[in-house]
Formats: sequence, C-alpha cells, structure tokens
Amino acid sequence: MKKLLLTLVLLCVTGLLLGGLTLLYHLPLDTRDRSPQQPLPFSHLQHAGDLQIDCRFCHRHAETGPVAGVPDLDLCLSCHRHIATDKPTIQQLAGYWDRQEPVPWVRLHQLPDHVYFPHHLHLRAQVECSYCHGQVENMAQMQRIASLKMGWCLNCHRQNQASIDCWACHM
Amino acid sequence: MKTEESGIRWGMVIDLDRCTGCGACVTACQVENNIPLTDRQGFAEGRNLQWLRIERYWEGEFPHVRARFLPMLCQHCDDAPCEPVCPVYASYHTAEGLNGQVYNRCVGTRYCANNCPYAVRVFNFSEPSWPQPLEQQLSPDVTVRSRGVMEKCSFCIQRIRRGKEAAKLEDRKVRDGEVHPACAQTCPPGAMVFGDLNDPDSLVSRMARSPRRFRLFEDLGTEPSVIYLKGGGHEHPG
Repeated sequence: MKKLLLTLVLLCVTGLLLGGLTLLYHLPLDTRDRSPQQPLPFSHLQHAGDLQIDCRFCHRHAETGPVAGVPDLDLCLSCHRHIATDKPTIQQLAGYWDRQEPVPWVRLHQLPDHVYFPHHLHLRAQVECSYCHGQVENMAQMQRIASLKMGWCLNCHRQNQASIDCWACHM
Repeated sequence: MKTEESGIRWGMVIDLDRCTGCGACVTACQVENNIPLTDRQGFAEGRNLQWLRIERYWEGEFPHVRARFLPMLCQHCDDAPCEPVCPVYASYHTAEGLNGQVYNRCVGTRYCANNCPYAVRVFNFSEPSWPQPLEQQLSPDVTVRSRGVMEKCSFCIQRIRRGKEAAKLEDRKVRDGEVHPACAQTCPPGAMVFGDLNDPDSLVSRMARSPRRFRLFEDLGTEPSVIYLKGGGHEHPG
C-alpha cells in the first residue's frame, strides 16, 4: 500500500516537473522584449486598423530596398499638423519636431548584424507583411509575434523553395 | 533551389603583365570588406589581416633586377582543401562555385587556414577596431567579424548579391560586367576581370581561354577559379 502511494506521488511529481518544463519551453519568456513601452503610444490599431492606412504609406522603402524604414517625423506631421493637434500625445510629437530630435522608438524587429534581410525581395515573393509582423491592425501596442530566429527563417525558406544557401543571408 | 538554377560559376582572370603592383586593389578590398587595419607589430607577428595581398618577387642579379607582382587572393577552389577540414561546416562551397565562409558558424579552429596552400585565410586574433574616424566608413552590407573568427576573400559577395537582386527585380539574368568585386573595379590598368566562367561569351571566359593562362599550384588539383595570365611578349623590355 505504502509502496503504491510512493509510486503515485513520484509519478505525480515527475509529471508536474515535465509539464512545467514543457510549459516553460513553449511560453514566450521575452514578453517585455516582444512588446516594449514606446516613447509615444502610437497605435497601429487606429492607423492601420480603423483608418486603413496602407503599411507602405509610412514604411516607404519596403518595396524598393532592404530596409522598410520607420517614417520620419515630417511624414507623421504631414497629417498631424492638422489632425488631432489638441491631443497631448500629438503635442508631444510636435515637441520632438520643435526640438529637432528624432523620436526614440524602441526597435522590435531587430536582426543580428550578420543577417541580411531584404524587404523588397520578400514583398516581391508575395510574402504578406503580416506573415512576419502579425496582424498589426489589431495591435494597440505593437508586439513582435515571430521569434525571428534562424530556424524560423529556414522553415519558411524550405517551404517556399527559397535559397537556403548560407551566403544568401550571412555575408 | 533557385540559386542552383542560376548556372553561374564565378571566376576571375588576373593579367600579370598588366599588374603594376600599385596595391590599389588591396586598399579597395580593405575598405569594402570592413577589414581592420594591422599595425607594424601585427605584420611582424604574421597576424596581418588582408584578404588580398600583393606578392613581390625579385628576379635577376643586380643591376639587372626586376620586380614581379602577383595579387594573391582566395582562389575559390572547386576542390578546396579548406572545406573538408572544417569541423563545423563554416567553410562550405556555394552552388555558384564560391568558397564560402560563414562567420557566425566559425569556432576558430584555424584548420582551414593551415590547410590552405595559398595562405589567404586570415584569423582575427583580436577584437576588430578602427582608429577615429575610420569606423565611420564601415560598410553596412558586410558583417564586422569578431575575435576568434576566420575570414577571407568572398569575391565581394555583397556586390554579387546586389547584382543578382537587381537582375531578379527586372526578371533577367546577371549581365556580363555587371558585378565587379572592389579589387577589379579599382584596378587602374584593368588587370583583374571578374565574371561568369560558365558563360562562354563573357569577357572572363574569353580571357581564360588565352594561351597565356596558368593557375597557381595547378599540380595540387585544387581547381582554382582564379586564372592568371602571363607572358606572350607583351612585357616592356627589361
């Protein structure tokens, strides 16, 4: 009887341990990295979702170059000199312009130095923005949904018969 | 794979009768590929970082001495001795006949450099640094290699890549003469020519068929992709 109880307890403990480890393995541990606080509460939900502004209206270089680009202040203000100028966050935005400072946006999709990722070629291959960046039109605060690790890249490259040559990305 | 279908085999022809040994290619290479500068002591210790160097040979007895120059770079061998010795496959062969080096895979065993008969692989014995303001001119297209990593000539893979990208965006093949490594672009007498050896009409193929051709250490069977031209009565009389 005692032996049976002991075995059961042991089994339970092992199960719990294994379950915990599996959970730890699958849980995104870098939640803060994935959705850091930005200097201004810019909402993709409002701009890309409600107002349906095309991604490429602000991220202008996505189709022509490797870097999609964060819009410069001038582009933000081309609308916000006239729209919602009474809101405190927009006044904060205008403050950056007056002080001639760039907005210190926190970069979410940061690749290591030894990785070359061309946006224009991926768009040409008809990869949707949302495939890597998620449904940004539903995000009030921007989140990174993909791990951006090499295995994740390779998976997609294999599925779509894209090059998996080392020098395709690492130069 | 799409790259394998391109059918390109990159190669270079270097006309030694045109080479004046000026060293412009060395400088261009250094600048293009973010290669750290080596000081006098580094050279003395044999720890100079150069992907391309000019070998100088003296011929004859004084006063009839002549200098011979030979630009030495990675020969991108088809049967490369550096590749099979790498325990982590950091040195590998691309589908386009290039001898690749993956910096982020390299663990720094230096087997490849020891097995290279041309001694063109260089090792980062220290963390790279540039004197002010030279770090401002680093190319963003090329990885800055860290300490403990082997590196070597890549035939300016970032330029090849750019050429292929441009071709891809216009749905065509890479044109002959569209892609130049920094050394070939800089060479004042035009001694270096780069292109597709598989295309029989490319300039590099036509030059490679010259009777003046030879390859370095041909007897080793490394099948280099760099072809040198020499002799044939085009020299200035000594």
